[in-house]
Amino acid sequence: MIELQQLSKRYGDKLAVDAIDSTIRPGRVTGFLGPNGAGKSTTMRMIVGLDRPTAGSALVNGRPYVGAPAPLAEVGALLDAKGVDANRSARNHLLALGATVGIGARRVDEVLASVGLTEVAHQSAGSFSLGMGQRLGIAAALLADPGVLILDEPVNGLDLDGIQWIRTLLTELADEGRTVLLSSHLMSEMQLVADHLLIIGQGRILADTSMASFIEQSGGTGVVVVASPEAAALAPLLAGDGVTLTSREAGRFEVRGLAAHAIGDIAAGHGLTLHELAPVAASLESAYLELTHDSVEYSGGARHDLHPALNDLERAA
Amino acid sequence: MATTVAPELLTAQSRPTETTTTIHRQTLARAIRAEWIKLRTLRSTWIGMGAVVLVLVGFGAISAAVSTGSVTSPDDGGGPFDGGGPLSIVLAGADFAVLLVGVLGAMAGAREYGSRMISATIAAVPRRWQIIVAKAVALAAVVLPAALIGVLGAYGVGMGILSAGDGATVGLTDDGVLRSVLGMAGYVTAIALVGLGLGMLLRSAASSIGALVAGVLLLPALAAGLLPASFDSLLQYLPSSAASAFTTVEGAGDSVLAAGAGAFVLAAWVAATLGAAVLAITRRDA
Repeated sequence: MIELQQLSKRYGDKLAVDAIDSTIRPGRVTGFLGPNGAGKSTTMRMIVGLDRPTAGSALVNGRPYVGAPAPLAEVGALLDAKGVDANRSARNHLLALGATVGIGARRVDEVLASVGLTEVAHQSAGSFSLGMGQRLGIAAALLADPGVLILDEPVNGLDLDGIQWIRTLLTELADEGRTVLLSSHLMSEMQLVADHLLIIGQGRILADTSMASFIEQSGGTGVVVVASPEAAALAPLLAGDGVTLTSREAGRFEVRGLAAHAIGDIAAGHGLTLHELAPVAASLESAYLELTHDSVEYSGGARHDLHPALNDLERAA
Repeated sequence: MATTVAPELLTAQSRPTETTTTIHRQTLARAIRAEWIKLRTLRSTWIGMGAVVLVLVGFGAISAAVSTGSVTSPDDGGGPFDGGGPLSIVLAGADFAVLLVGVLGAMAGAREYGSRMISATIAAVPRRWQIIVAKAVALAAVVLPAALIGVLGAYGVGMGILSAGDGATVGLTDDGVLRSVLGMAGYVTAIALVGLGLGMLLRSAASSIGALVAGVLLLPALAAGLLPASFDSLLQYLPSSAASAFTTVEGAGDSVLAAGAGAFVLAAWVAATLGAAVLAITRRDA
C-alpha cells in the first residue's frame, strides 16, 4: 500500500506535483497516467525517497520508505532502465544491489532466469538493448520479493513476447496481493493490465477510479455498430436527443448514445431485421484523451467547461 | 550490440516472486559489501591499481638508476628524477601515483551520476550517508593495499638498484624511513578518498578531476610561488604540504608541520571532503 498525503513538489516557480492525495492499494494493478511533465516520474521518485517532497508525504506500508529496514524488500522500483553502470555485467549489477539486503548469487540467478536473461547474465549491461535493459530493471525490482512494485514505463522497448510476458507478470503480482503502480504511454496495454487508474495532469489528480468506471464515465456508453437491410427505416427510429448516427457504408451505421439492447428492442418493436448489433467498448485511449483535453482547458481557466466526469472526479479527489 | 534471447527463456521458468533466500536488514556492513562488489566487478579498478603499483615501482627504479649514473637522463639534471635523499629518489613516482589515484577516486565518485545508477543505489540504501561511507571503505580497501605494494616495491627495487650502483641507501629501520614509506601509502589512499568525495560532491568526473588537480597539485605550487612568505604558515595546511610532513625523512623546507600534525591535517581534509559529500547527497534530490 502506498499513501500519498498532500504530496507536493516544487521546482523553482513550477509546482510539479500539487498536493495530491491518493491511496494505491494492494491486490490490483494501478495504472498511472498523465501527459509528459504531469508529475508521474517525480511522484514515483518521491515514493522511494529519491526526490524530497516540498510538502506532504508519501508512505509505503504506513511509513516513509527511508525508514524501511530492508528497502529493496519493501519497494521494487524500475524508474530508469538505462540507469546502470555500463561496464558491469547484468549478474554483478544484481549481486551488488542484492547485497544491500543480504541476497546472494542463488536468488540473483533465479531472478535472471525468470526474466529471461540467463544467457546474457555475464554480458555488460551497457551492451543491452532497451528491451533487455527493461528486463534487467524488472529483475532488480523483483530481486528482494517486494510487496510494492513501482514501474515507470516498463514496456518501453520490449518486443511483443516481452509485452505479453510483463502483462502476465503484473497481473500475477497483483493477484498475489502486491501493490503494483505502473506508468505507461501505451493506452491499449494499460487498458489490458490495469484495474485501477490514477491520472494526473499538471501535478494534480484528474482521476482516481476503477478502469471500468473511468471509461464509462468519460466515454459514455460507447459505440454500437448496427447492420440492417432496413437501415433506412431503422435510423429515423433511433434518432433522438443525445443520439448520433454515423454511416460509412450503406446498410451499416454506428450509434452513439444508445445502448445495444435499446436498439434491439426498437428494431424488434417495429419488425425490422438486424444483421449485426455489436457494442464496441469505449477505449481507455479515447476516455483519457477526452479527460486530458479537458485538463488543458482547465488550465486556460475555462472551469465551467469541465466535462461532467471530471467534476465528479475532482470532487472525489 | 543486440543479443537475441532464446524464446524459451522469455516465459518465466521459475516464478520470479518466489524467494529462496532470506531477506535481511539493510545495514552499513551490507552497504559496504554492495560497494565492494561494485568496485571489484569493474575491470578499470584493477587496471587502475596495477597502474598505481607500476608507476610507484617503475618510476622509483628509473629514478634510482638515473641517480647512480647507470642510466643518463637526456639533459643531465632537472626533471623529476633529480636530487633528494635515497628515499625521495626511490619514491619519485609518488606524485604521479597521487595524481592517478586522485583521478581514479574522482571517477569512482562521479561514475554513478554519469550512468544515472545513483538512483538505484539510493533506492537500495536510502540512508544515504551510508553510501558515502561504504564507497570510501571499499575504495580504501583497494587503494591502500595497492599503495603499500607500490611503495614497498619501489623501496625494495629502488634501494637494490642504488646499492648495486654504489649509491647511498637507507634501511627501513632507519629513523623515520618506515614511517615515511607507510606514510606515502597513506597519502596516496587519502587523496583517492578526497577524489571520491569530490566526485560525489560535484557529480561529474571532469569537474571533480579538475578540482582535485587544482587543489592538490597546482594550488600548492602556484601559491608557494606567488604568495609572500608570510603565507607559508597557511600553506602548510594544504593536503600536499601536510603530507610532506610525514612522507619525507629530510625536512622539506620551512614551515612544515610535525609528522603527527601533518597526518592529522590530511585526515581532516579527507573527513571534510567526505563530510561535504554526505551533506550534499543527503540534502539534494538524487
